[in-house]
Amino acid sequence: MSTLIVIDQPPYGGWAGREALDMAFSLAAFDQPVSLLFCGAGVNWLRKGQEPGTVRQKSVEKNLAAAPIFGVEALLADSDDCNRYGLEPGRLLDGVTLVRTDAQLFAGYSHTAFAG
Amino acid sequence: MSEQQIPQRNNEGFLEDAWAWTPQVAETIAAEDSIELSDNHWEIIDFLRDFYKEHEVSPPSNRLFVKAVKEAFGEEKGNSIYLMQLFPGTPAKTACRIAGLPRPTNCL
Amino acid sequence: MTEIQTLHILNKSPEHPRFTRCLSMAGPEDAVLLIENGVLGLGTASASVSGKLLALEADMAARGMGGQSGTVESVDYDAMVELTTRAQQVISW
Repeated sequence: MSTLIVIDQPPYGGWAGREALDMAFSLAAFDQPVSLLFCGAGVNWLRKGQEPGTVRQKSVEKNLAAAPIFGVEALLADSDDCNRYGLEPGRLLDGVTLVRTDAQLFAGYSHTAFAG
Repeated sequence: MSEQQIPQRNNEGFLEDAWAWTPQVAETIAAEDSIELSDNHWEIIDFLRDFYKEHEVSPPSNRLFVKAVKEAFGEEKGNSIYLMQLFPGTPAKTACRIAGLPRPTNCL
Repeated sequence: MTEIQTLHILNKSPEHPRFTRCLSMAGPEDAVLLIENGVLGLGTASASVSGKLLALEADMAARGMGGQSGTVESVDYDAMVELTTRAQQVISW
């Protein structure tokens, strides 16, 4: 039983993504296999150099870097959407795997849940 | 350190501002729980301070606290009995309170 | 009782980008279950879903669409749970 949590909304403008991150961390806490997929505007979570002190929020970039420590198996990003938002590999957080978001990807997980 | 010199805290005793923390603050908060801080305590406190600097978040739950300690120091210290002995109650909450971090979000 | 490859649980109204994405991904072996605002897309969905199309009774009734339950297979909460156990995998859109 493995779960894929999908974040397709951009960071900082709403809370849905953070709630999804929390869900992923909670699954990992109970040793349930879980991965995170960022697609659509959600790929902006993965951009290096975020400084959200300017909007008085915590950095999702720094929060995400804790994912491997907590046991989240993989951070995946849709490659087309990364291109669309100008996220060349050098601008992405370390440890992100580029994938194509399609039925074949979802077939690898018994449950896929979109955030918000 | 007198009560007035402790930075502002919430109703559960957690610092409002993690950056207002000093080692003396840790001693004072620990004393409220009758904990005398040893090197073993400081190892975990320093770990939590570094963790917060790097990730801007407290380990969200007790299980994830134990998991993060295990990642850093191995099985011997990354287990709930060891951490419970150092930080009685809910170890994640007690340790974060002493280390000046925000309250772990998913601890009851 | 037929097996379901993927159960798509869709709770977004037709204007939401995920609504379109879900319908384009659902194959003939799949089932699409409309819940919450998803039931508002009943007309749109019935035109394009090649597999099974279902809708949650309570959410249709809540939105005054109880009369349309003849046009789609409507299910109650127990049946919804049962569907999730019959599917190989579940996608919550």
